Amino acid sequence: MFNYELFKTETEINDGNFGDALQQALEIEIATIPVYLFTYYSINRSPNQTAISSALITSFMAGGMGMEEAKTKALEMSAEVMVFANKAGALIMSVAVEEMLHMAIAANIKQAYTEEGPQIIGRSPSSWPAYLPGHDPKFPIDRRPLSHDQLMTFLKIESPKPFAEKNLKTTVIEYKTIGLFYEMVKAYLTAAQPPCDGDKPQLLKGNGYYAPNNIDTLFYNKEHKPNFVNAEDSGDLVHIKNAKTACDAIDIIIEQGEGNNAPGFDEHGQVNCAVYDGDFDDKSKSEVSHFEKFSRVYCQLRRLTEQFEQAGIDEATFQSFFIRNFKKNPSTSEYPANLQALSTLIDGVYSYIFVMIENCYRKTEHTQYEIFMMGVHKSMIFILDWLCGTINGYTYTDAKTGVTYTCAATFQDYQFGLMSSPKSQLLALFANALTYYPSLSYMQVRFDSLPDVSL
Amino acid sequence: MAIIQYSASQAGCGGGPAGSIPPNVPNPNPPVELHVCMGLNACQGHDRFGTNNCAGTGYCATAEFHVCHTLNNCRSQGGCGLFGTAEEQDKPGANDCSGQGSCAVPIQAERFSTMGENAGRSTWLAARKLFEERMTKAARRSIGSAPMPCGPTTAWLNAQPGGFGSCGSSGSKICSFGFNDKTTNSQELCEGGKISEEWAVELRPAKHHKK
Repeated sequence: MFNYELFKTETEINDGNFGDALQQALEIEIATIPVYLFTYYSINRSPNQTAISSALITSFMAGGMGMEEAKTKALEMSAEVMVFANKAGALIMSVAVEEMLHMAIAANIKQAYTEEGPQIIGRSPSSWPAYLPGHDPKFPIDRRPLSHDQLMTFLKIESPKPFAEKNLKTTVIEYKTIGLFYEMVKAYLTAAQPPCDGDKPQLLKGNGYYAPNNIDTLFYNKEHKPNFVNAEDSGDLVHIKNAKTACDAIDIIIEQGEGNNAPGFDEHGQVNCAVYDGDFDDKSKSEVSHFEKFSRVYCQLRRLTEQFEQAGIDEATFQSFFIRNFKKNPSTSEYPANLQALSTLIDGVYSYIFVMIENCYRKTEHTQYEIFMMGVHKSMIFILDWLCGTINGYTYTDAKTGVTYTCAATFQDYQFGLMSSPKSQLLALFANALTYYPSLSYMQVRFDSLPDVSL
Repeated sequence: MAIIQYSASQAGCGGGPAGSIPPNVPNPNPPVELHVCMGLNACQGHDRFGTNNCAGTGYCATAEFHVCHTLNNCRSQGGCGLFGTAEEQDKPGANDCSGQGSCAVPIQAERFSTMGENAGRSTWLAARKLFEERMTKAARRSIGSAPMPCGPTTAWLNAQPGGFGSCGSSGSKICSFGFNDKTTNSQELCEGGKISEEWAVELRPAKHHKK
C-alpha cells in the first residue's frame, strides 16, 4: 500500500508529484474494498424471521401483552428486520460495486497520464487498522461486523465535508475529504494540461465490464417487491483521452461517493437522518451517494435497535438475529489449520483479482476482455462469493481469549511469489483447501479455467 | 402443471402431442441444438428428454446446466438476469460466445432481469420473445405453447434430476414476510409486469440543503 509518510510534506499537486497523486487516488479506492466487503459478509441477509418473531412474542407476553396483540406486533417488527438486513447488505454491496468502478476509473487516469501505469498488485492494505493515505484527520479503519461504530467509519470515508476528529493525533495534512483530494487533481489537470496518452489499454465501457445493479444490490421490501438501490445513469467507465474526460470521470467518483454539495454530518458531527437534494448522485434522482446510503443504514439500525430495546430485547440479542459474530480484524494465521487453508485460499482469490485487473492494463483488447470476463467476473461473483459463504458456516475459538467467533473471510493481501506463476500458486492453495474441504471439488473446473496472468 | 397443448393447425408441429410429462431421463441421443430453457427449442425432439413434438414445446434446457454469470460453454448457451450488463441481459439465451451469458441455465419462471429495458421483468418471457422472433423471422416456423406459460417454476426444476441452482445473496424470490401472498410477484412476472422498484425514489421529494 502507498507509503504516504513519504508524501507527507506535499500539500498540493504539481508536476513533481502528479504521478504519485494518481497512485494515491488509486490506493484510496482500493483501501475501501476489503473493509466494505468484510462488513458486507457479516450480514445475514436472510435471517430467521420465526426466531425473531418468537423472541418478540415471548418478551411482549412476559410484559403482560395478550397473545394476539403480541403476534401482530412481532410480525410487524420481525418483517422490518427482514427488510433491513437485506437492505443493509444491498446498500453496502452497491457501494462496493461502485468502489470497483472508482478503482478502474482511477487506474484509467493513471494509465493515460503516466509511463508506469497503475500499480494495483499488492496495494490492498497489508496491516490493520488501515488508514486512508493522506486523509486529515487520520482515523483508523478496521474490518469489523456491521455496527453503529463501523458505519461511522464508513461515513468518515465518504464524508462530503471535512470533519473534526478528537483524541487522535493528526499527522500530515493532505486532504480533508476524498472529494477535495480529487478536486486538487482536477485543478492540476485543468491548469497544467499534462500530456495524456489515451491509446494505452484502459478498462472501457461497452465491453460488459461494469454493471451497477445485480441480484446482490437489491433487497425485497415488506411486500417482497425487489428494490434496486443503484441507478443506471449514475456513472460508468470513462475513456481517458484528455483533461476534460479525466475531470468528468473524477466527477463520477466524487458524486457517487459524496453526492452533490451534500451537507454531510450535522453541526455536532453526528449523522443527519434527513435527506437533501445534494444526497442524490444521478440526474434522475434514483440513486443516493455512498455517504447517504450509509446514513440510511445507520439511522435505521439506530431506530430498530431502540424499538427492540423498548420491546425488552437488548442490542446484542437484536443484532445477533442478523449480524454474524466476526472478530475485529481477524488474521488468517490465527485460524485453526483447516480454516486457515480455506482462508488462505480466499486471500489468494481476492489478491488474484488485483493481479488480473493490473494485467488488463498491459494487454490489448481481446486478451484484456478474456482476462476481465473469464477471470475477474468469475472470481468475484462465483468463486469468491461462494467461498465466503462457505467459511461463514464455521466457527472457531480464539486461542488468546477463548471467545468463539464465526469465521470470516479476512481479505488479506496474499503475496504471490516470483518462482512460479500466480495461477499455479492459486491452484496449489485450492488443492490444499480441498484436503480439508473435499466438497469444494465442484470448483476445480472454475479454478482451472481462470486466466494465467503474471505479476 | 401445464402440459403440451397440441394443435393440428400449428404447421411444422409433426408427430402429435407428447400427451404427458416426459420421464425424468435425459435424452440418450443428444440433440443438435443446445438451448437454455423450457419452450426455447427450435425442433422436434430437441428438449432435455428428447420427447417434445414441436418447436417451442420442449420441457427443459439442452445446454449444460450452470449456476452463474460467465459460466456458459458457448454461443446461445447462457441464461440471463441477475448479473451482467444491460446489453447482456437483453439477450437471454442469445449470447454470442462462451462466458457471455449473464446468469444460470435453466431460467426459472421467478427470475427477473436486473439491468436494461427488461429490468424488473421476467427473464424467461424475454428469452421466449427472442426465440419467437427468431422462429418467425429466420426460420419461418410455427411454434407451440411452452409447457408452462412463464417457463419452469423453481419447484418443478428442483424436482428434476440434477437439481437446479442460481447465484445471488439477496434471498428467495418466492417469499413472504407476512404481508404478501408468496405467489403474487411470480404471477405478476408471468403476466409481463414489472415488479421492481427504485428504492431511492422513495426518498424524494428531497428537502433543500440547509445552508
